[in-house]
Amino acid sequence: MATAVQNTPGRTDWAEDGEPELASVLPQPVTTKNKDGTETVVSYYLNEAGKKVKRTQRVRRTVVKKRENPRVAERRQWAKMGPEANKPAGPGDTTTLGENIIFRPQVGFKAGGVQEKAPEEEKKNDALKKMQIKCRICSGDHFTTKCPFKDSMAAPEEGTGEGAGGEGGGDGIDAAGGLGSTTGAYVPIHLRNGRKGEGERMGGKFERDDLATLRVTNVSELAEEQDLRDMFERHGRVTRVFLAKDRETGRAKGFAFVSYADRADAARACERMDGYGFGHLILRVEFAKKADGK
Amino acid sequence: MRPILLSGHERALTQVKFSKEGDLIFSVSKDHVVCAWYSANGERFGAYKGHQGALWTVDVDPTTTLLATGGADNTMRLWEVRTGKLLKTWDYATSVKRVEFSEDGRQLLAVTEKRTGQLSTVYIYDISPDPSEPAPSEHALRIVVDEQPRVTVAGFSYLNHFIIMGHEDGSVSQWDAKSGEHIKDNYSHEDGMQVSDLQWSADRTYFLTASKDKTAKLHDTATLEVLKTYTADTPLNSAAICPDPQQYVILGGGQAAMDVTTTSQRQGKFEARFYHKVFEEEIGRVRGHFGPLNSVAVDPTGKCYCSGGEDGYVRVHHFDPPYFDFQFEVEREARAESRI
Repeated sequence: MATAVQNTPGRTDWAEDGEPELASVLPQPVTTKNKDGTETVVSYYLNEAGKKVKRTQRVRRTVVKKRENPRVAERRQWAKMGPEANKPAGPGDTTTLGENIIFRPQVGFKAGGVQEKAPEEEKKNDALKKMQIKCRICSGDHFTTKCPFKDSMAAPEEGTGEGAGGEGGGDGIDAAGGLGSTTGAYVPIHLRNGRKGEGERMGGKFERDDLATLRVTNVSELAEEQDLRDMFERHGRVTRVFLAKDRETGRAKGFAFVSYADRADAARACERMDGYGFGHLILRVEFAKKADGK
Repeated sequence: MRPILLSGHERALTQVKFSKEGDLIFSVSKDHVVCAWYSANGERFGAYKGHQGALWTVDVDPTTTLLATGGADNTMRLWEVRTGKLLKTWDYATSVKRVEFSEDGRQLLAVTEKRTGQLSTVYIYDISPDPSEPAPSEHALRIVVDEQPRVTVAGFSYLNHFIIMGHEDGSVSQWDAKSGEHIKDNYSHEDGMQVSDLQWSADRTYFLTASKDKTAKLHDTATLEVLKTYTADTPLNSAAICPDPQQYVILGGGQAAMDVTTTSQRQGKFEARFYHKVFEEEIGRVRGHFGPLNSVAVDPTGKCYCSGGEDGYVRVHHFDPPYFDFQFEVEREARAESRI
């Protein structure tokens, strides 16, 4: 027995000569059935380095029965011919899978891209229905322009609307109030009820409210937008990060704008991040100056 | 459903055909190549090389042993599907625009083009389904169409009684398949708008013609009367009837110069249109091709359909459950009543 053991090549465990079986013989694979119907197979093998590896596999066996036309089955066994003669089984590079198309026949189908939008349109319609329509004048359940009290109740909303006297002329209309829409005349945006162009700004007024935007200077060249975003996210939700990049080299130019959803967050961030060390430079954070009209 | 794109051709597709069991698709194109594909996964089975010109047409016999192709090199060729061996070549004076096997696979017809000095002719051959037996060089019947405008498409009717032809001026005609006698015509499509495709129902008692006049019409084989008309907004190149129990037809066409719209550029804009066969109403469209659809074919078992386009792609679509469940209200009621 001892001789047989010594002749096995690659052995390094001669110290365990007393129990040779353990060292050189791999245990048999063991299959156990689990409670949920799967099987666990534990097997051993030697990998390329000669080390013993234990492999545990959880296997579920399912039998799928499919009926097939015998002629079709026979054709599947045919050897591929022509340019496909020596190619392996399975679709080659002449076959690709396209994008998923939702095809649902429907009565009264209308072409023109409407069908593709259907699920989104439905969502929009649902949102519209759920939306509470409230009139600004009398808080009723209708749109402002349809308000029955346009004439009487519009008056207290005057504001900067004195200029309304300019529309459509006639001093008698002054009393109608700042809206001017009561007379049916057009009121330009900047003269309407409320502040200058509120809610009319391009991009929506919540996008880049300058009072919630911080200007960060002395930013390291190696900084990236994602880094800045992560840093400033700690103080509140960041809606936009704009990192000034040099067009040619792509490196940071040294400053950035960070916009918050909430003004208070911006204020807090301003205090906290001013003087923060990033890279090898110290950041300077201040509120961004309002964009000047150019 | 996710379409499988088959890109084995370098030029526009001219015809696609399913085998009788629906497991193989044969496609021919202007690039001289015939390809065979498995419809289940789009795997290419092989290609048949030998033609020297653009291929216009292909058909496979009901046992899927023989394949016939016709092309612009003025030949019709017979191949063995399994090995790709060329069994027979027939030479003509002009290009072959259409080939079709009869229902039992015992006869094969070829439609040759009309040229100066040559009239449109339809040749019929008796074919034996055994590939080892040589096919005849002599035609069993030849129909020379001289009084009528050029023949664009033709096919065998049920029981090989008639040969139905479609013409360049939009008419369809009926001929006796044994004697070659002209029986009747019907000027069903708009004058001057050629019949671009003719496809049969499963039992060949009615057929669907597609025409450049933007309509497809369902005709009765025996009387040639128009049973149904399906109107589209583009000239049609092909039309197919879905097998029962689905009551649909598929139309394919398209004009190359389309208006630019703001649709996704990853998907092409050319569509296959689905109509209800009985109600003549459009029920859906499937887009994806980057060029007009030149040919549409439906799997005889009804599980999938494929379309070959001018863009060189064949798109195979396996239908989802909603396709099989769709019914009009009246159909649902009728079915409920018949059960009671």
